[in-house]
Amino acid sequence: MDRVIATVIGIVVAVGVSAIVFVGANKLFDLAPRRWSIFSTLIGGASSLAIFGLLWGNRLIDQPVTVTAIATVVGALTGYALSRTSDQNAHLAIGAVAGVLLGVLAGASIKPQWRPGIDAIALVLSVVLFLAVGVGIRSLRNTNSNMLRPVLLWGSIGWIIGAFLYPDLGTGTVAWTVIASVFAGGLLGGWVGTFPLPDQMMKRDIAVGSRKFIFLIPALAFISMTLVIPLIRTIWLSLLTGLPKELTWTGLSNYVDIVTDPTIIDFSDWTDVFTSRLFIGGIVVLIIGLVVARISGKRTGERLGLNGGSLAAISAGFILVAFAVFASVRGTISNNLWWIFAVTIFSTGAGLAIAVMSDRSKGENVAKSFIFMPMAISFVGAGIIWRFMFVARPPTKDQTGVLNAIWVKIGVWSNSTTATTVIVIILSLIILGLIYIAFRGRQAGNISVAAGSVVIALPLVWIIYKFLGPGLGGYEVFEGEVFAKPILFLTESPFNNFWMMVVLIWIQTGFAMVILSAAIKGVPADLLEAASIDGATESQKFWRITVPQIGPTIGVVVTTLIVTVLKVFDIPKVMTNGNFDTQVLANEMWQRAFTELDFGLGSALAAIIFFAVVPVMWRNIRQMQDQRAST
Amino acid sequence: MKRLRNVVMLLLAFALLAAACSSSDDGGEATDTTATTAAPTTTAATETTTPPDTGGDTTTTAGEVDLTGRSVTVFGPESSDEEAGAIQDALNVLAADTGLRIIYTGARDFSDQINAQAAGGNPPDIAIFPQPGKLADFARQEFILPLPDDVTATVNDQWPEAFVAFGNVDGAQYGVPNKADIKSLVWYDKPSFDAAGYTVPTTLDELWALTAQIRDDGGTPWCIGIESGPATGWTFTDWVEDIMLRVEGPDFYDQWVSNEIKFSDDRVKAIWNTILDEWNIPGNVFAAGGSIAATPFGDNGQPLVDGDCVLHRQASFYSAFLPEGTVTGPEGIDVFFFPGDTADNKPVLGGGTLAASFKDAPEVWVVMDFFATAEYAEIRQAAQTERKDGSLSGFLSANTQQDLSVYQPIEQSFITLLTEASVLRFDGSDLMPAAVGAGSFWTEGTSAVNGDKSVDDATAAIDASWP
Repeated sequence: MDRVIATVIGIVVAVGVSAIVFVGANKLFDLAPRRWSIFSTLIGGASSLAIFGLLWGNRLIDQPVTVTAIATVVGALTGYALSRTSDQNAHLAIGAVAGVLLGVLAGASIKPQWRPGIDAIALVLSVVLFLAVGVGIRSLRNTNSNMLRPVLLWGSIGWIIGAFLYPDLGTGTVAWTVIASVFAGGLLGGWVGTFPLPDQMMKRDIAVGSRKFIFLIPALAFISMTLVIPLIRTIWLSLLTGLPKELTWTGLSNYVDIVTDPTIIDFSDWTDVFTSRLFIGGIVVLIIGLVVARISGKRTGERLGLNGGSLAAISAGFILVAFAVFASVRGTISNNLWWIFAVTIFSTGAGLAIAVMSDRSKGENVAKSFIFMPMAISFVGAGIIWRFMFVARPPTKDQTGVLNAIWVKIGVWSNSTTATTVIVIILSLIILGLIYIAFRGRQAGNISVAAGSVVIALPLVWIIYKFLGPGLGGYEVFEGEVFAKPILFLTESPFNNFWMMVVLIWIQTGFAMVILSAAIKGVPADLLEAASIDGATESQKFWRITVPQIGPTIGVVVTTLIVTVLKVFDIPKVMTNGNFDTQVLANEMWQRAFTELDFGLGSALAAIIFFAVVPVMWRNIRQMQDQRAST
Repeated sequence: MKRLRNVVMLLLAFALLAAACSSSDDGGEATDTTATTAAPTTTAATETTTPPDTGGDTTTTAGEVDLTGRSVTVFGPESSDEEAGAIQDALNVLAADTGLRIIYTGARDFSDQINAQAAGGNPPDIAIFPQPGKLADFARQEFILPLPDDVTATVNDQWPEAFVAFGNVDGAQYGVPNKADIKSLVWYDKPSFDAAGYTVPTTLDELWALTAQIRDDGGTPWCIGIESGPATGWTFTDWVEDIMLRVEGPDFYDQWVSNEIKFSDDRVKAIWNTILDEWNIPGNVFAAGGSIAATPFGDNGQPLVDGDCVLHRQASFYSAFLPEGTVTGPEGIDVFFFPGDTADNKPVLGGGTLAASFKDAPEVWVVMDFFATAEYAEIRQAAQTERKDGSLSGFLSANTQQDLSVYQPIEQSFITLLTEASVLRFDGSDLMPAAVGAGSFWTEGTSAVNGDKSVDDATAAIDASWP
């Protein structure tokens, strides 16, 4: 209970302090036009408090309370002094003196392990370099301006980097630390002193112009802490190698290691592509699709008539060929590409199909709710659920995995004369029914019904053939006895990859469906009506009006899915942990960085994933902006 | 007024949620939270008391400082209710004596998490390492601290030399033995084994002959499964180590562990082939998950009891995986020693856990000292047996001063094997660098078992991954 109370108090204090800071900042800038000297005093105190608070928070200084208090007072006094005079030289002097004072304070209180050593060459180089940059920028922008300010600002930046950031820390003396920080403080203080006393107009500008920063800074600070700084650090880490406490510079060798690692991409079996059944089948289907497209194209006067039938055949062929390639060219990258390809295509395709078919039909909402439900399950949860679906048990045991139970049961039926007879009779009746429907459809002039019935009947014919001939399902006959022969979904490479993709497809179809369904409902009804009046068929309306209208939305769905899938981690992690040829980049990153403590290599993998995601993200955001602009 | 009340309600709800997340202590995420809350105290204390470098020289005992109210966090790989509960029970006894608050958290993916915590500057006060190799890595990177003299003295006093040596890195003692396992065991159902007329083999050749005999009789000799989540493959590495210790001897084993003998050495590959040949003979292995690589190692208890297989080679802690209510000992599931190449050669492959400290503070050393004592072993064993409703606890200690009466007869025989072994070696994969011992040895071994890779390719890949 005391923990709850402590947490409550902590949260109340944090929220309270944030509110006070926020309201205080607004009130403070309200003061600028009316009470300049109070404003200046408070700003001076707050700036010193912020700088020394940073040192304090990072545990860089001894006696932090006293030192920070003194610094705040010095800062406030400086602010007040600056507001009382408008003399340029006096300003400069006040700023410099205050900077020197604060420098002494900081230099003397920095803890021994953070005192910098002396690296004269680095110091000189750094100062010269930054001076050159600063003066260069200023003279390019405005040729006849005062050079004092850029010299002071850029000189102090160069000095701080050369004196504090480059040399080894912990080796220096107190004297040098004080000197170094006095110089830095003096230069910076002088720079602050070069600001002239503002007139009424400028004061109002300060009050108004600062508001956007007051609102932005908390968000920016949060984003840089949680995103930008870790990102930069990851990229920096990817250029280092070694154990976490002794990282050394290694340049791009982590990236070279990744690219040359044979488990990342393995072309050794690529010739198998041309002999695989998938490839041959895919090519055949592709050719059929192209022929159908050509024939229907002739009718409409196009080179290739892309309608439901031809497009389905062409994409099926394309998918089969791609699967053949992914199944033969192995490796982590190939797995990742396969994931992207399969999940994106199947989720978008199935989502679109469901959205179209359920549109304005009875029970649409119920059906869509069920399909959307898997979205509510975490990837880890889904992985565990599907592990149970995929379980294989020894031949002598009952199969407890749903898929294998069905598969083995079919095998048992296929070996029993009675069951085979019953199934063949039932299937034959269904086929007869379908033929009747096809016949009626043809008589009624509805070609799509006729063709559809025949298409559904074909696999049933194939099943009958299998039952009567070679047999179907998971079984094995050993010395006259029938044994179960379950499919080892998760261990048999390479298609274990696909069985895991099924899990993500199962989840993401709902997402694609919901977005696409909303887009379809947004297609203007008058367009569709006009097309109907002009005599367009349903299929023409879909391909010529709906699809072009929802094109940008399909783009958004596809890119969102690609980004999700590129980062896929949870499902392979819980289902196989990258064993059995199912490694993906994100899991590889985890294993390198956290199992083997090779943060360099792990970060390089993380960076690769990041750089692969960025262009897709960028495209995704652009599409969403375009879409918003067009509606 | 109403708006204000809403804000307060929201804040309260959020606070409760946050508190609920941080106070639960089972499972991986809770571990993170505990570690996070502990972190500021860790750093602050290290800075205010003593500089971290002087860890080895401090000698502090409980008597000098009043420890009431200080807290110590312990993080380890044992996460089941029985194991983690028994550890916490034992620590509660110490807590009651000293006024400390001691919190144990366990996580199945300890190895990954401790890496992230240590490298992130966020470690627990004490971690219980299942792998001396990892402990040595951490010691060389100065994550963990050497033991003060009084704790070292307790360890030397109460543990056999071999176990003390597992926690010794480059001459300094870092680890306190916490638990011991014996891995060279074969579990079997004694009544049906005897009824079938089989005899316990005394040499490896006899073991393979027995395997063939069982198969010819129509039975399935072995239950084997090597799946273990992120650690899939370790069961296979245990087989390799056990047989290597028998066929090639301890010196060869040591050279292999230190990579003076490569994995692609013909003698190492021969051992892989021996194992895989036996495993791949049709009818030799019952794999409850369809294939050896897909069967969780813990799923072999039920088939052994059901008689789906006759033999199961697994460590002493396997008793924790037997189905509830299983009779153990001569009347039920019993064990025999995994035989050596001759009847007299009885090398023992051992395992266990070692506690090491990330923080130099008197309260931490009090807990570390406690882990080394017989008292800890006895309380934990009693608590764990009780939590298992009186069946085998799965816990063993090799502490020389413990009262053996807390153990059941079969467990006492394990301890005798451990303490009297002429040759005792720690699980080799646990001694190797993590990239191999917790990485490629597991994954490449799994690939070889699954038939995805040849032995030549798999061993070559392991050699290539040696850092």
